[in-house]
Amino acid sequence: MAHSDGVLVGTPAPTVAVAGHKRRFFSGENPWLWLSPALIFLLLYSLGPLLYNIYLSFHEFNARRKEFLFVEFENWTTLFSDSRFQNAISITLQYVVIALIVQVLLGILIAVLLDARPFGVGLMQTLIILPMVTAPTVAGMLFRLLNHSEFGYVNFLFERAGIVTRAEPLLGGSGENALLGVLIVEVWQWTPFVVLIVLAGLKSIPTEVVEASQVDGANWWQRFWRIKLPLLSTVLTIAILFRLVDLFRVFDYVVILTSGGPALRTESLSYYGYVNTFQQVNFGYGATLGVFVMVLVWVVAFSYIRIFRVKW
Amino acid sequence: MAAVNTSNTDLRIAQRQHHRQQFISRLLLTLVTGAIVFVFIFPIWFWFTASFKTFTGIFQLPPQLLGFETTDTWWSVVIGGRPYVEAVREAVGATAGTGGAGTVGYYTVPFLLNSVFYAVASTLVTLLIATPTAYALSRFTMRGKQNVVFFILSTRFMPAFAAVLPITLIYRALEIDDTRFGLVMAHVLINLPIATLLLKSFFDDVPSELDDAAMVDGCTRFGAFWRIIVRYVAPGMAAAAVLCLIFSWNEFIFSLYLIRIPDLRPVSVTFATFDSSSGGTEWGFLAAAGTAAMIPVFIFILFVQRNLIRGLTLGAVRG
Repeated sequence: MAHSDGVLVGTPAPTVAVAGHKRRFFSGENPWLWLSPALIFLLLYSLGPLLYNIYLSFHEFNARRKEFLFVEFENWTTLFSDSRFQNAISITLQYVVIALIVQVLLGILIAVLLDARPFGVGLMQTLIILPMVTAPTVAGMLFRLLNHSEFGYVNFLFERAGIVTRAEPLLGGSGENALLGVLIVEVWQWTPFVVLIVLAGLKSIPTEVVEASQVDGANWWQRFWRIKLPLLSTVLTIAILFRLVDLFRVFDYVVILTSGGPALRTESLSYYGYVNTFQQVNFGYGATLGVFVMVLVWVVAFSYIRIFRVKW
Repeated sequence: MAAVNTSNTDLRIAQRQHHRQQFISRLLLTLVTGAIVFVFIFPIWFWFTASFKTFTGIFQLPPQLLGFETTDTWWSVVIGGRPYVEAVREAVGATAGTGGAGTVGYYTVPFLLNSVFYAVASTLVTLLIATPTAYALSRFTMRGKQNVVFFILSTRFMPAFAAVLPITLIYRALEIDDTRFGLVMAHVLINLPIATLLLKSFFDDVPSELDDAAMVDGCTRFGAFWRIIVRYVAPGMAAAAVLCLIFSWNEFIFSLYLIRIPDLRPVSVTFATFDSSSGGTEWGFLAAAGTAAMIPVFIFILFVQRNLIRGLTLGAVRG
């Protein structure tokens, strides 16, 4: 009796146990026993760092004395009057919105084309996956060459098309087009993700539905807009959720391609936080930015899941 | 008689015309789609060819995609381990210092092997933890289940730079900083949410009557899970493993800060350090090393791409 009660201490009571049985923690019917390895691990590795960051965000690191000083809300008040932080928010939002729109529209377009079964569709489908599984550091370096102001081929083509100029190339210059330079890599790597998901969605639409609309005289556009797109909304919801979570934390491409420059014109929130923590040894302020990004993504994802009723 | 014949030929002609039209429209479709796919593949092909181009060939505009002058200078250093100075003297005629890779050098093979180790080890640990968790999330209904799922998902939300410092400090306290074990566990952190939610969707596809039947036959809950149900989600474990391997292979910032001993670094980090301040940016070496880091994943993808879609959406979209 006593020992089984002792085991229960500190564990949430399992609510669904077989009626009439005494609830024991070490029972195959207790879901929390099954969940415990993962939850312990995740609490240690994700809640731990979160709490530590919250703690740090109320402190300031004194590099000379190597100790943390409690500064109350100083980091947080600085945050909301910091123009570099506002710049980072604006850059991040631009990045998220543009990348999301382009990836989703282009992704749907390519998926629809592939779904119409061109010759060699299997090969094309395999090839289009490759950008997505390239390491971000390798992709970043590759596009540093392609976007190079003197001998980058993408920059060369964009210059021909009149999108960038000699004085304002994709990377470099005063940074007018630098965000575009980073966005190119983003779109290149993650549009295939949307393609794959939408393609899976299109394939799961029963052919009877499409045929029925054909019999009723719907043309191609009506079939796409009125029949297929609504049926795709579930998979699109998921695709957008995953892109949102990742886009808000954009970091790897910025490090490799631009280091936030020129003139902070590609400095995302994550990158600004990284600069504070790892370059300026402002552990307190860096942690504040980290918590801010985490809360931002949390709020966005949570509202999104509630609004679009995403369920696992 | 004659009338029937004419109508038959008319029909045949109309049919042939219809087929031809269909063929032409499919050809057009192929051209348009092929062009777009080519745009996406071009950078990779460019990178691959650049690794065989001569020093000046790399910078040619527009780049030659076929029939260029080839050299094995870059690969002989990156994969063959030939001394940097010797290779560069042959390619350019002169050398200064150690080049962009610094004292680490461009020899990439050990770092590829490091990456293989981290990817395989973290995948195994992830599957070991994720499988029972996913089973429980699929089979039991308890209060706050959706919250548990959201919590698992939310571990993806924290920007990596913010998680690195606390984990470093914890590791230092446990004296596992700068160890392979430490980095493997950090990669488990990245992959655990993905693997768990993905596996849950596969468990959902296995009817729970199977568990009940096994338990009626005398299995315990754990016995039913281990002896019967796990067999049915083997494809799911394969899909999860694919994702874990890829994400671990590509991971950057944890690997950068949790392992500061150059010899223990995975290829994604070493590659990023190849463009250091100790020398110029040497694109030939970068292209060869970058391609070397891509090839294992690409070959892998060719075999397992069917599992990829479901994995990338954590099981929410059945590919």
